[in-house]
Amino acid sequence: MSKRFNLVLTGVGGQGLITLGRLIGEACIRAGLNVTVAEVHGMSQRGGSVIVHVRIGEGDSPVIPVGGAHHIIAMEVLEAGRSVRYANKDTVMVVNDLILPPPLAKYPGKKDVIEALKSKLGRVYLYDAEGVSKRVMGTPISSNIALLGFSLGVNPALEDLIGKTDVEEAIEAIFKGKALELNMKVFEEAFKEGKASIGG
Amino acid sequence: MNPILARKGETVLLMGNEAIARGALESGICMAAAYPGTPSTEIVETLSEVAKDLKIWVEWSVNEKVAFETAYAAAISGVKSLTAMKHVGLNVAADILMSSAYAGVKAGFVVVSADDPGHYSSQNEQDNRWYGFISHIPVVEPSSPREAYHYTKEAFKLSEKYGHPVILRTTTRISHTRQPVTLDEDLPESPVCKGVFEKAIDRWVLVPGHARKLKMKLLEVWRKIQYDTGEPFAKIINPGMKDVIIASGIAYSHVEEALRILGLESKITVLKLNMPVPVPRKPVEEVLRNAERVLVVEELDPVVEKQVKSISSELGLGCKVYGKEYVPENDELSLQVVYNGLCRFLDKCEPRIWESVGDLKIEPAIPPRPPVLCPGCPHRSSYYIVKTALNKAGIRNVIFTGDIGCYTLGFQKPFETQMTSFEMGGAIGVAHGLSKVVDEAIVAVVGDSTFYHAGIPGVINLVFNKGRAVSLILDNSITAMTGHQPHPGTGVTAVGEPTVRIMPEDILKAVGFETYVINPLKVKESINTLGKALEEFKSGKKIAIISRARCALEVLRDARKTKTVLPVYKVDPEKCTGCMACVNLSACPALVVDPDSRKPVIIEDLCAGCGLCASICPFKAISTANTPSQDWEKLW
Repeated sequence: MSKRFNLVLTGVGGQGLITLGRLIGEACIRAGLNVTVAEVHGMSQRGGSVIVHVRIGEGDSPVIPVGGAHHIIAMEVLEAGRSVRYANKDTVMVVNDLILPPPLAKYPGKKDVIEALKSKLGRVYLYDAEGVSKRVMGTPISSNIALLGFSLGVNPALEDLIGKTDVEEAIEAIFKGKALELNMKVFEEAFKEGKASIGG
Repeated sequence: MNPILARKGETVLLMGNEAIARGALESGICMAAAYPGTPSTEIVETLSEVAKDLKIWVEWSVNEKVAFETAYAAAISGVKSLTAMKHVGLNVAADILMSSAYAGVKAGFVVVSADDPGHYSSQNEQDNRWYGFISHIPVVEPSSPREAYHYTKEAFKLSEKYGHPVILRTTTRISHTRQPVTLDEDLPESPVCKGVFEKAIDRWVLVPGHARKLKMKLLEVWRKIQYDTGEPFAKIINPGMKDVIIASGIAYSHVEEALRILGLESKITVLKLNMPVPVPRKPVEEVLRNAERVLVVEELDPVVEKQVKSISSELGLGCKVYGKEYVPENDELSLQVVYNGLCRFLDKCEPRIWESVGDLKIEPAIPPRPPVLCPGCPHRSSYYIVKTALNKAGIRNVIFTGDIGCYTLGFQKPFETQMTSFEMGGAIGVAHGLSKVVDEAIVAVVGDSTFYHAGIPGVINLVFNKGRAVSLILDNSITAMTGHQPHPGTGVTAVGEPTVRIMPEDILKAVGFETYVINPLKVKESINTLGKALEEFKSGKKIAIISRARCALEVLRDARKTKTVLPVYKVDPEKCTGCMACVNLSACPALVVDPDSRKPVIIEDLCAGCGLCASICPFKAISTANTPSQDWEKLW
């Protein structure tokens, strides 16, 4: 119903969600699209749940309605579970293969969460973004870029809005030097793996 | 290049706060002063990044009152200026806010109040538009981050036109949302930076005789603003309909999209307001005259609604004005909330268009993830040290009064070292008062930045009036929670210039405390030092403890920059008995217990190497897993 494309980015503070939001925002500028990128987080620097609401298309209202997400990128499994309320049955979800339990808490296992997600959504992808980042960068720092690359690969509706080159230009605008080169590589690899996983 | 320095015609992705900074620069400010506070911080932080290049004065002041005074002084001398603060910060600056309306300004002066509907990072969600009424200062409110850019400029124009301060009110969702902004002007080549102080005693000295005259002038300005304001602060869209929606600030953006989804844009008249206080009289009258039913959509309090109802009743119009019957008075608004409200008001549509799959049903449930102290946070060690030392000294049932900062998270288990938290600097005054009415030992916990901000009068009062409380200053030498802005104990200014470093212990000594400075990384040594301090406390001395170590996030950043290897700890499963002392006493996010195993492991990527868990472990099962650089401790 809504004419805007709604993208939920979720994870734990400190994982690079704000940078990911900025990157998508920059890509939208390059694609000539209006966008709002709203960061929703609590009071501290690190460690709490973070959600970034990205809404692409005409309009300025920044927060995505519950059930209104077209695509969800979760940088952590428990946060994927928490964010599923933003999904409807058609939502595509890409989940980083990583679980970060909060201190002193009882929590469900990774497999159980993924199974529960799959019982609700037709298209859930568990992706080892940390693996790609560690392979290329040596650290998990570019997991965010990997998840965006993979998402673009698996979700043609997203790729129709912001193309691969829009994102590449955005990466060029945000990073420089070695970080630029390596992030570009992470993005390329993840994009390919995304395409491969839908047989594209 | 910093995007706020982009050229005319360029489209840049700006956060609302950055958009305000750019708008202020285009307007020609040469002075900005603020105290950091979410969600306002990035305005002056952005300006501080470009201040040296642009040769403008930007500072982090010690609190909002001083920031306001600093910026206001520029504006009464003919230099355009801005001050910015979170909503509760304006309470701190409220005294001079009132006076500034009486005396006015000689150059554009904008006070940004960044409100926080939804309590995302604040103790309340007060609606600062009311300040417009109390002070007789108009309130301008943008509807989007992009509009934050445009309306900052409009706010400066308005301030210049009437020689009057203007409040620019944003809310968290404007402040912290990024949007493409197309810049319509370049920055001025040479803004006015040199002021002239005119000795207009009857204007700047608010003794009753002067103030009475100034009040008459003030009311005249206020009436002019009410009656002469139209576009761009009020815009009538699709005039002439019987159903009217009046929407202010970000509420307009929700209304616009909701009507579009409903396909009702052409059936309803919308009055978009960007000045909620005072509402521009003429456009409101114009829409009311044709209306049968009016819905006011605004976030938080019925500020516009009450004015609209008053105008409607003054004019004797028959239209019915609604507001808070359809739109909640608490929490932030969203497209969804406004859509549901409009559906009920218009009685026309299906309210469930977004079909959520619902929450995950799983056992155990997804645990909540509230913000916690970061791995390596020195506050964690400080709390452990202080509680252990109190315990060893036989001081039980301690009351910990608290304050505002990352360390407020100490209210949680296992620390429970924040039992109050009301406002900036409150820990000490509250501790003093409690000490007069209860028998328990009291520890007042306050951060360094908060101590400078409003804690110093408290400690002076505590000594002067013979209070009985330990003052504990958690000193990480930076304003950490808002993103590491310097303060008087940092040794650098907002623009990175070296300056004097004012140590809390020097102030506390001068006031009459015996001070003890500890390093929270040295757990055992610190517990011993505090043992001595607490004996002195028991004998009736005034004790202040300063626990000093840098914010772990800064240490990690500097370690990356200087390629310093910090220690990383590991748990030896052979020695570990699974007693969980490390997990239960530190609550460190880097320590996790796999559901299948019964022993903790340390996530190396998260460990910052503070070593608290190793100090806690009774079985010496935790030790460094790597060879740290020789001088790693210097980074803390």
